[in-house]
Amino acid sequence: MAKTLIVGEIQKGGLREATLELVTLARKLGGEITSLVVGSGVLALAEQLAKKGGGRVLVADDASLANYTSDGHARAIRRAIDTEKPDLVLISNTPSGWDVAGKVAAALDCGIATDVVRIEQDGSDLVFVRRMFNAKFDARLRVSGSPRIATVQPGASEAYTGSEAGSVVELDGVGGDSRTKFVEVRVAPAGGHDLTKAEIIVSGGRGLQKPENFDAVLKPLVEALGAQMGASRPVVDAGWLPHEYQVGSSGQVVSPKLYVAVGISGAIQHLVGMKSSNFIVAINKDPDAPIFEVADVGIVGDLFEIVPALAAAVKSAKGG
Amino acid sequence: MKILVCLKQVPHKDARLELAGDGSWIQDANIKFEINDYDNYALEEALRQKDKDAASEVVVLSIGPDRVQQSLRTALGMGADRAIQIWDDGLAKADSLAIAKTIAAVAKAESCDLVLMGLMSDDTNFAVTGPMLAELLGVPHATGIVSAKLDGGQVEVERELEGGALEVVKLPLPCLLSVQTGMNEVRYASLKGIMQAKKKPLDKKSLGDVGLEAAAVAPKVRIEKIYSPPKGGGAEILTGSKDDIANKFVGKVKELGLL
Ligand SMILES: Cc1cc2nc3c(=O)[nH]c(=O)nc-3n(C[C@H](O)[C@H](O)[C@H](O)COP(=O)(O)OP(=O)(O)OC[C@H]3O[C@@H](n4cnc5c(N)ncnc54)[C@H](O)[C@@H]3O)c2cc1C
Ligand SMILES: Nc1ncnc2c1ncn2[C@@H]1O[C@H](COP(=O)(O)O)[C@@H](O)[C@H]1O
Repeated sequence: MAKTLIVGEIQKGGLREATLELVTLARKLGGEITSLVVGSGVLALAEQLAKKGGGRVLVADDASLANYTSDGHARAIRRAIDTEKPDLVLISNTPSGWDVAGKVAAALDCGIATDVVRIEQDGSDLVFVRRMFNAKFDARLRVSGSPRIATVQPGASEAYTGSEAGSVVELDGVGGDSRTKFVEVRVAPAGGHDLTKAEIIVSGGRGLQKPENFDAVLKPLVEALGAQMGASRPVVDAGWLPHEYQVGSSGQVVSPKLYVAVGISGAIQHLVGMKSSNFIVAINKDPDAPIFEVADVGIVGDLFEIVPALAAAVKSAKGG
Repeated sequence: MKILVCLKQVPHKDARLELAGDGSWIQDANIKFEINDYDNYALEEALRQKDKDAASEVVVLSIGPDRVQQSLRTALGMGADRAIQIWDDGLAKADSLAIAKTIAAVAKAESCDLVLMGLMSDDTNFAVTGPMLAELLGVPHATGIVSAKLDGGQVEVERELEGGALEVVKLPLPCLLSVQTGMNEVRYASLKGIMQAKKKPLDKKSLGDVGLEAAAVAPKVRIEKIYSPPKGGGAEILTGSKDDIANKFVGKVKELGLL
């Protein structure tokens, strides 16, 4: 790989871990590495990235870039591409990353592979590996033209931990107006249903089919185990349970001693919220459901038969 | 106010998916299709605007073979005014940029105040068409919105970030919004709506009809292969009768010291 541009991301005043994961990925591909840091008053973060393997770090520093806007960040990324002429541009697949990446690709009329988990070198070409159909299948993509843009799934690589001698260069011409105006970030008030401290969580997904089944089918197992109830997103979207039950990237991130996933397929956004649980049991009628890849124990079958049997067995083991 | 809603037809959530012979897509000959879930919420949002202001027009658009007409009819039954289907053999291997260029050709001709679409399609999971289309149209955008308040010439939206945080941004019209699931409660088509839908216009257009040549939509991104993910360590699958499985489960919970 001749030259890779890493688009860094700032989160809560620091470099996001995902940016250092891009460093690992870029270093594996070899070739020259250059990075971009966008914000206001972010010179120190650019220096930090330079020392952490970001290579030659461009900094787009302007008051107008203090908060993420698609116009502001697209302008900075295009400016960096213009000056560096990279062959590959790496952006983290995060809410700001996926908001800006397609905009830049369309402006430059170039190909983009999104939510990539791996990039393989094949002679002089690259193969972009990603999931499809909500993780049911893997896919290999080829992208033609230059530069090629890839957005990369956070957590797909280890963060780079080496220290290197890099340099920092200030980019000019990056300030300006944005049509979208940032107003504020609202953090949802903590609900009464805090799953982060639960020892055991039993979560139900779309496989439960009806809201009534959470009480009729799932709750007896939840109560028998002395667990807390959780849910996947479609359950919350449909209004069957409040948002504070949602586990996943846009819900709570949990790591109980035991996580039981019932009728949940195992899309990445759900896995992000529960894969670091100590022990995972998955119940699903589809033997190929991706949830079985992260589970320690799997039960393949109809949850409407299995879950009542589990609840009864736990109850009798407790002597009640 | 004129609103364009982009609807993609994707395999039904409960369809059994099998790989096609050449390994570059799934077998789509004998499965059921439906409107992409995210897009239903986008359509509902457009219809709510029309409920408030009857002078609004809601145009639904889908790029796909003739089977997408059924999804477009469903959307008309729910209350959309007009439907456009675009299909051409030249779009069979279209990548996201080609789809965005094709939609852009229509959207420009229609000159809409608002373009609504899904954040992500449930088959490819690319989640990129919206920002591309916005750039091609020269309008601002916001992705993954969970609320939108129209106020004169601008709209205030909440974008979903991670962990339940929301980012509030304001955009001037015309603009493009991509919608996250759960934004609203999607209506069903009423019987009356379905009857009326039969008389509403559904125009089928080719690439030429929207002023594009095949070369303009030549893909830069190619799906070389899709395949079942290699089985890693995976889970230990509990087998036996229902009671055997239940007892083994209890054994595991005991081993964890939780019983
Ligand atoms: C930006 C973004 C953020 C997201 N955030 C989250 C998040 O925080 N949390 C989250 O969960 N998702 C999130 N999602 C959605 C995610 O992509 C998936 O759509 C979702 O996790 C799927 O939920 P599910 O597994 O319940 O449903 P499905 O994928 O529909 O799976 C249902 C499962 O139930 C099984 N099943 C059906 N009937 C039975 C039966 N009788 N017995 C046994 N098994 C059965 C099926 O085989 C299937 O595997 C997000 C998506 C995006 C794009
Ligand atoms: N073939 C298509 N026809 C109409 N709209 C589409 C099509 N493909 C994608 N879209 C729209 O773009 C959104 C995001 O899709 P994607 O970028 O493919 O994940 C979808 O939710 C649709 O609103």
